[in-house]
Formats: sequence, C-alpha cells, structure tokens
Amino acid sequence: MAYSEKVIDHYNNPRNVGSFAKDLAGVGTGLVGAPECGDVMKLQIRVNLNTGVIEDAKFKTFGCGSAIASSSLATEWLKGRSVDEAMKIKNTDIVNELKLPPVKIHCSVLAEDAIKAALADYRDKWGKKEAVAGSKAS
Amino acid sequence: MSIKADYFEVFGLARKLEIDPEELQRRFYEMSRRVHPDFFQTGTPGEQAGSLERSALVNRAYRTLRDLVSRVEYLIQLEEGRETKEGAAGIKPEAPGDLLAEMLEVQEALQGAKADGLDEAARERVKAEHARLLERRAVEEDGLRVLAREWDGVGDGDGNREALLERMKRVLAARAYLNTVINDLGEALGGEAQNHVSHRRH
Repeated sequence: MAYSEKVIDHYNNPRNVGSFAKDLAGVGTGLVGAPECGDVMKLQIRVNLNTGVIEDAKFKTFGCGSAIASSSLATEWLKGRSVDEAMKIKNTDIVNELKLPPVKIHCSVLAEDAIKAALADYRDKWGKKEAVAGSKAS
Repeated sequence: MSIKADYFEVFGLARKLEIDPEELQRRFYEMSRRVHPDFFQTGTPGEQAGSLERSALVNRAYRTLRDLVSRVEYLIQLEEGRETKEGAAGIKPEAPGDLLAEMLEVQEALQGAKADGLDEAARERVKAEHARLLERRAVEEDGLRVLAREWDGVGDGDGNREALLERMKRVLAARAYLNTVINDLGEALGGEAQNHVSHRRH
C-alpha cells in the first residue's frame, strides 16, 4: 500500500511527540484505542486558562504510519485554536489532508476520538476554572 | 448449498460457537468433494463458475470456523448485520481504559529500553513482560470460551444475547491490544518469541 507524501513526512518527522504531566494546569488527556487493530493513541492539550486557547499539544501513538500521521497532524492543528474551535476538527479533514485510503480511515477516526477525549478531559478538570476566568473578564 | 449461505449454514451447523473440530473437518471434506470443480469439467460454463464460487465459499467458511476467535468475530458480524437491518446500530466496544494505559506504559518502557541499546538486563525484563502478557492473553481466551458456552445456551430472542455479544466484543478488543504489544515485545527480542502473526501493521 502506498502512503501519501504527507503521511510519510509525518511518519518520519512526527510533530509534537511527548507528553505533559496529567495534572499540570490546563492539561487535558485523551487515551483511545482501535480494537480492530490494537493501536493505542494518547493525545494531550495544554490550554491557557485565561484565554481558553490551546497553547501546546502532544501525542504518543503506537500503531501504523497512518495512525501516527493522523495524530501528529491533529496536534499541529490543535495549537492556537480555542477549545470550541478544536471541537470542530473532523476525521474527514484529516483524511483529506493526508489523502488516506479507505482502509486507513479508521486511523483518522481514532485521532478525532483522541481530540474529543482530550477536550472532554480538559473540560472535566479545568472547565469551571475557565468559566470563572471568563466571567471575570466580562 | 446456496452461494448466499452463511458459514454455519455451509456445513449444516446451527449458529453455535462450540464446534467439534473433527466433526467440522469431516463436513469440510464432504462439502469440498461435493462442490469440487473437477466434477463440473463437463458442465456448462455456468455450472463451472458456480462450482468455483462454492468451493471458495466452503474454504472461506472452514478457515473462519475452525478457530474460536475468528468464529466469534464472524458471529458478531452476522448478528450485528441482522441488528442493523432491524434498525439498531452496532456499538463499538468501549475502550478498556486501564488496559490502554497499561499497554501504553509497556510500549513506553520498551521504547526506552530499545533506545538504551537493550542490554542483557533489559532483555530479561522484556522477556518477562512478554511472558506475562502471553499469560494475560490466554486468560482472555479462556474467558472467551466461557462466553461462547453461555452464548450457545441462550435461545433466540433472549435479552442476554446482546449483552453477551458486547462482552465478547470487549474480550476481542482486549485481545487485539494485547496482540499488538506482544508482537512488539517479540520483535524486540528478535522474533524468536513471536508466535502470533495475525496482527497487521502496515
């Protein structure tokens, strides 16, 4: 199976590999897996609690090239977005950008799941504090 | 035998998970003989093509049913196909969070050990981890056998059927995660400990 150039680029030079301490201020962690193939993906965001903007994102993926590329791309896209904007990232955006073939679409679904899980975890842990900060500003 | 027969029907078996391997093999040989293309050499092109298709179906059915795991996977597919027709969507099993976290930890430790050149002590640790996870997988597979027996005991329209399918899916998912890590650990050890090749990493 031929990978697209973008997949190969992300696979050879994955962006933002690593992790944050789970309890660091503003950090949300998503840990998801693909039961079809056993891939595991951890994706984390670090949100500025004053602005609600994602300042940094990191991932660790143990899986195929497309899963690594999907999560690498996801972290690139997350940086600089607000939490609400981040919710809008769809797996189809990843498929289009990386030109994933049909058999690899589940890798992009996994990345979307990871984003959603990280955002949900962030809201769980820090959502209230963000709301307080937001109401102070208004 | 219809081309549209499901794999259980191919061998005249009920949709049950406990199958006597000898009985299955006997029926496989019998069906293979019955549909073998050699018997249709003088038939019409339509008959010949039909024989080829039936042979292929018999082979696929046998390969799928002779192994418990692929049998369960196939059963789930069949049952969910039926569910979808009735309007209920197939549910993706919820990822077992603890297991995912543990697999990630093992992978990270392995990555670290490999980066440090995998000295003798590290190899021993990887070997122990590999053995531990093989054991874990065996436990999951025992669990699957128990669920399979339970499945065979519930009748059509029993409310437990869906719950049992869900539990089997969870075991299959856990097994898939374990397989990936077991393979990666085996590969790091040089492949000698690797006896499972079903994982497909492209």
